[in-house]
Amino acid sequence: MEITTTDLGLAARVTHLSKTFGSGDGAVRALDDVSVGIRRGQFTAIMGPSGSGKSTLMHIMAGLDAPTQGRAWIGDQEITGLRDSELTVLRRRRVGFVFQSFNLVPTLDVMGNILLPFDLDGRRPNAAEQSRIDGLIDSLGLGPRLRHRPHQLSGGQQQRVAIARALATAPDLVFADEPTGALDSRTSREVLALLAVASREHGQSIAMVTHDPIAAAHADRVLFLGDGRIVADKPRQTAEQISAHMLSADRAPLMGAAS
Amino acid sequence: MTAVAAVSAPARPRRAAFLTERGMGASVLVAALSTAFGVILLSTTGYLSALLRAVFGTDGGTLGLMIAILSVIFMIIAMYVGAIVTANTFATIVAGRTRRIALMRLIGASAHTQRAEVARQGLVVGVIGAVVGLIAGVGLSYAGIALADAFLGVPEVSYAVVQAWLALPAAAVVLTTWAAAWTGSRRVLSVTPLQALGGSVERTAEQARGGAGRNVGAIALIVIGGALLGIGVALGLMTPLAIVVSFFGGLISFTGLVLGATLVMPPALRLVGSAFGRSATARMAAANALRYPERSSRMAIGVVVGVTLVTMFAVAAESAKAVMIANSGGAMGAEFATAMDLFAGIMMGLVAVSAVIAAVGLVNLLTIGVVQRRTELGLLRALGLSNPQVRRMVLLEAAHITITAVAVGLVLGIGYGWAAAQSLLGSISTAPGVIAGALVPPAVPWVPMVVIVVATAVLTLVASVGPTRLATRVAPVEALAAD
Repeated sequence: MEITTTDLGLAARVTHLSKTFGSGDGAVRALDDVSVGIRRGQFTAIMGPSGSGKSTLMHIMAGLDAPTQGRAWIGDQEITGLRDSELTVLRRRRVGFVFQSFNLVPTLDVMGNILLPFDLDGRRPNAAEQSRIDGLIDSLGLGPRLRHRPHQLSGGQQQRVAIARALATAPDLVFADEPTGALDSRTSREVLALLAVASREHGQSIAMVTHDPIAAAHADRVLFLGDGRIVADKPRQTAEQISAHMLSADRAPLMGAAS
Repeated sequence: MTAVAAVSAPARPRRAAFLTERGMGASVLVAALSTAFGVILLSTTGYLSALLRAVFGTDGGTLGLMIAILSVIFMIIAMYVGAIVTANTFATIVAGRTRRIALMRLIGASAHTQRAEVARQGLVVGVIGAVVGLIAGVGLSYAGIALADAFLGVPEVSYAVVQAWLALPAAAVVLTTWAAAWTGSRRVLSVTPLQALGGSVERTAEQARGGAGRNVGAIALIVIGGALLGIGVALGLMTPLAIVVSFFGGLISFTGLVLGATLVMPPALRLVGSAFGRSATARMAAANALRYPERSSRMAIGVVVGVTLVTMFAVAAESAKAVMIANSGGAMGAEFATAMDLFAGIMMGLVAVSAVIAAVGLVNLLTIGVVQRRTELGLLRALGLSNPQVRRMVLLEAAHITITAVAVGLVLGIGYGWAAAQSLLGSISTAPGVIAGALVPPAVPWVPMVVIVVATAVLTLVASVGPTRLATRVAPVEALAAD
């Protein structure tokens, strides 16, 4: 009997994951034998410079892309080898997404966007889910805006709607891809605090991809990627510590090349 | 053909590169169809008058004139629909180029040179399409006349297909395509250099509202035309000459409806859209048609023009037939009925060409809509929209426009057709207990109506094949990574 993701206290994990884009001379190895788990109920930041493979890792963990080698699980469900239709349903029911920009469907109002995962599933939220959604709308301050369309909202408000949508189905895991990339610093802090609260107070597992040390400082755990590998796995860090680490990591390849 | 153009100018590949852009091929096709149709109509007209001359020794008098007038009218309709499609296509092409235009503006290009560039591309597209259409039209005319000579048993007529006047439709198509590209590129002027720096090219609000002046003009035309139509119908109780008043009433009011497409179509689209149900895919499909109301309205009106005309001819002919048969007490024989049906059939066949052009436009509209929504589709796929749901959504979008257009066209066509029959025949129609002058009951022939509905269903399915394939190929990662 194989040990399960749940036994390990993880919400999602990957083992010996590799991903290569292209072939022949033009091949790029985005991920190189990565094994890592996202702990249940924790807010994890995945950091690294551009091209470090952090987005690729997130895409595979979230069932958006297939690895070249290795295996991936969401909860106890292995997602490698699933068909596209199965992955679609899995994302719909068990994963939440917050993106940098263009998070919302412009033709649906706020309520339509929040309920979209249920609508796509062809059902209405049950009583428990409805009360969860009501709670989210309330705590995110979206009550007066439910009939607004995305273009009538500020960037921060749009990101709150995206967070409400991502949390509405109580997914195994919420993936946030540079969620503050398009926001000013004050709004960024608010959005990060909301994610931290969702994790700390409601036990929501969150994985956030970012290259911003200040954003990563809100997380319980910081994973550093470089050249397709996990180069460090640290508990909560200050922005200064994270910056220092990033700067040293940035110099490392140069030193390696010189030796 | 685009490849040939690109290859033949290796020194300056940029000059012709735009022809490979999405939408340009369709514009060439539309120009070619309009030209070929015009050439074939002119050849047919010329051949028929030569035939009449051979048979009767005259130009055919009124009959020949009527055929010539009808040819010109149908050519104008086809070119008009073609111009709508082309203007729409160029408007969407410009919307897709916003980023690039903004960059050029940032570097220092003026909005006017940018717009002139788009118009110049329209001219090139028009010329290519017209040449292709001219060649195809001449070829088909040769084939058709050879067939007529061989099989119809008509006397041998010496008729030269290649004549200078065949260049007229080609020239007209070049000019209308150029003008349509110019009209469609209006939005270039509203692109700001800042948009090159912005993160998003998605229009935040729907700014698309037709000019206020045009809307007032459209309403005025609808009111005046409607009034004339009413007078024509009333006069029709006294004299068949009322058809002249009604004709102009119909022409004016319909022009008003077409010009005011952005006033008339959105409410109709909204009504049909609300019938699609409350599921997320249905609501998004319905909303997509109204996202760019100007674009969808103009596209729908292209189909409306065709359906209205077909229905009008069918209803008018059927009503007239009913009156004639009633008046003659059944003595009016099968021969007359067959002649009327044949006439209506020819009219419908001619209008069908416009419908084909409108179909090209619909494919274009859907395709460009999908291309411009790649990121949104990627988001939806990430959130759990399955490929069958994507397929359903695109199909519903196509159905939304065609169903609305056909419904509006049927209503208008029945109305106009009845008005025509009433104006022409009101004074000779008899009803029980009335001596002279009565209402002509509108007779709706079911076969053409069924044909229209089935053709619409087929059109919808065919038009959504390509865009659906494009939409289901959007990989969520790819679309989101591009952001």
